[in-house]
Amino acid sequence: MSIKISNLSKSYENQKVLDKLSLEIKEGSLFGLLGPNGAGKTTLVSILNFLEKPDLGDISIFGYDHKTQKKQIKRISSYVPQTYAFYPTLTAYENLEFFGALYGLYGKELQQRIQYCVEVTSLERFVNKPAKHYSGGVKRRLNIAIGLLNQPKILYLDEPTVGIDPQSRKYILDVIKQINLENKTTIIYTSHYMEEIEYLCDDIAILDHHKIVLHQQKQKLLEDNSYIEIELQDEVLKIPSDKDYDEFIQTIKTLDDGKKLIKDIRFPNKNLEELFLNITKGKLRD
Amino acid sequence: MFRYILKKEFLLISRDIHALLVLFIMPILFILIMSLALQNAYSNKIDIKFNIAINSQSSKDIQYLQKQLSSHALFDAKIIQSNDPKSLLYEDKFDIVLNISSSFHKDVKSNTKDFKIDVFSTPELSFQNKEIFKNLIVELISKKVMTEFFIQYKVNGTTLSQLNEKIKLIDLNKDENFTTQATSVQHSVPSWLIFSMFFILIPISNTFINERNFGTISRLKSIDISFISIILGKIVPYFMINQIQIVLMILVGIYVVPLFNGEMLQINGNYGLIFIAGSAVSLAAISFAILIANISNTSEEATTIGGVSNIILAALGGIMVPKYVMPEFMQNVTAFSPMNWGLESFLEIFVLGGSFTDIKYYLLYLVIFAFICLILSYTILKKKENI
Repeated sequence: MSIKISNLSKSYENQKVLDKLSLEIKEGSLFGLLGPNGAGKTTLVSILNFLEKPDLGDISIFGYDHKTQKKQIKRISSYVPQTYAFYPTLTAYENLEFFGALYGLYGKELQQRIQYCVEVTSLERFVNKPAKHYSGGVKRRLNIAIGLLNQPKILYLDEPTVGIDPQSRKYILDVIKQINLENKTTIIYTSHYMEEIEYLCDDIAILDHHKIVLHQQKQKLLEDNSYIEIELQDEVLKIPSDKDYDEFIQTIKTLDDGKKLIKDIRFPNKNLEELFLNITKGKLRD
Repeated sequence: MFRYILKKEFLLISRDIHALLVLFIMPILFILIMSLALQNAYSNKIDIKFNIAINSQSSKDIQYLQKQLSSHALFDAKIIQSNDPKSLLYEDKFDIVLNISSSFHKDVKSNTKDFKIDVFSTPELSFQNKEIFKNLIVELISKKVMTEFFIQYKVNGTTLSQLNEKIKLIDLNKDENFTTQATSVQHSVPSWLIFSMFFILIPISNTFINERNFGTISRLKSIDISFISIILGKIVPYFMINQIQIVLMILVGIYVVPLFNGEMLQINGNYGLIFIAGSAVSLAAISFAILIANISNTSEEATTIGGVSNIILAALGGIMVPKYVMPEFMQNVTAFSPMNWGLESFLEIFVLGGSFTDIKYYLLYLVIFAFICLILSYTILKKKENI
């Protein structure tokens, strides 16, 4: 297990943000964290990255205790904030060199890591240009490149594709997949884009009302959502939703002929977004 | 790691054109302008004399008065007859109009009842200069009367007639080996140097606030580096920039000001003491900048709060207006400005040849000020849960 969280709580001025939250994330997984605004996603990621202190609860990251082994955890983690967390007047190379040095890299090793990060994120053309002149997509790639400098075992990506064009977004998602596959890096990905999470992640959780309200492997989630459920008096019939629609009509007819009372018919969620809206009741959160 | 932190900070400043202008160009211009503008206020040489119109009929006495006034360092006199002193001041551009009887000598001797002398001037003429002129007129008339009296009674008045030359003006330096004269450049260089050192708050607050607002500080805090390294990474580069400012401004005083007919900065004092005083000022300036950066939410806010605070501290601290021209109350107020503590330290070294003992309290005040600013910054940071 790469991350194990038990009974994590956090409040701001008596306002609960996380309430006895428990969660386990497997090593090497690409974990998607979904949640409406104010659900506590950023607080959770901030706590995991030592940007905020929890009120209660235990966290273990790759076996290291979050309270007592801060240094060890920081060395294997990397956090890519939602904002462009670099110096806009410096070039990509100067930014990478500075952050690489902070990660304790020097000389040849530092140069090799810079080269790797530049190649993975295709920043070659922009290496010697000040970052303030980059497009949104290139800035996002530099943000991620900095996060890869220390070869993290866990990479936290907080909405890394906000405000960029579809091509750049597709490229960034593929880079993230590649990092996860090649390096077995555990990736914690938060986003508002459901289709991104659906495309990218193999493990998905929904955070709402300060707790994890759903946590499943994507495969299982899709399986659970592939049947039309017909609830009878004493049983629930499941008809595969990808089958011919005639089969569903025929089943209803048969039940009707047999004088069976149909209490409810539940159609599957078409996609993750529909599931998310169902779970979070689709209410506007401010 | 520290090498790269320094490199990063230097790159950021070298690409911040506004910071460069404020830190280096602004003080150079101020030193040049103020050194030249205040040159007469400090110098023994006087370039411009006050024009005096002696509004009277020409006579032997009046010619004596004109000759004596014109030989004075401050005045140049002409005999003019006019019924309108106002037009002499505002149209003919005289600084002072002296209405005096052509037979003033006789009038004084005979105690003429309605004898009077009128001195007209524009309101801009300072009270000190009016008093100097008035006393000079009294002196010249008295001298004229006394000379006649001495001749009549055969009194040897040689010493009295040479009294002016007999009075010697002597500057006493604390250090006997120290012979530097107080000049405008010796006031301007430390004044505008300290002013610009405190403007280090512009690049510091820009970096701090941008790091906070762009989320860079979150990234930095998620990396395994200590808070002390982050703070030292801020203080050391800016401390070095302040030291560069000190060297550069001293060089401007020595080599650039004389190119514009200004006086050359003379430093016979201890260079080690200049470094110590400069370091204390730098520490105070950087700590103050960190505090301003912490209480401000945006760069604009920091620039406004910091800029206004600096100008007030400079006005109070004798930077903009030399302390000696201030009234007593204002001179006492200067004691509350950290810029004044720095200025007094530098003036002690530059002008009076003072030792460490002479500046130790100013240094102590600067260090205490820096310490208070850092404690307040830490408390505010802690409160915002940024540590």
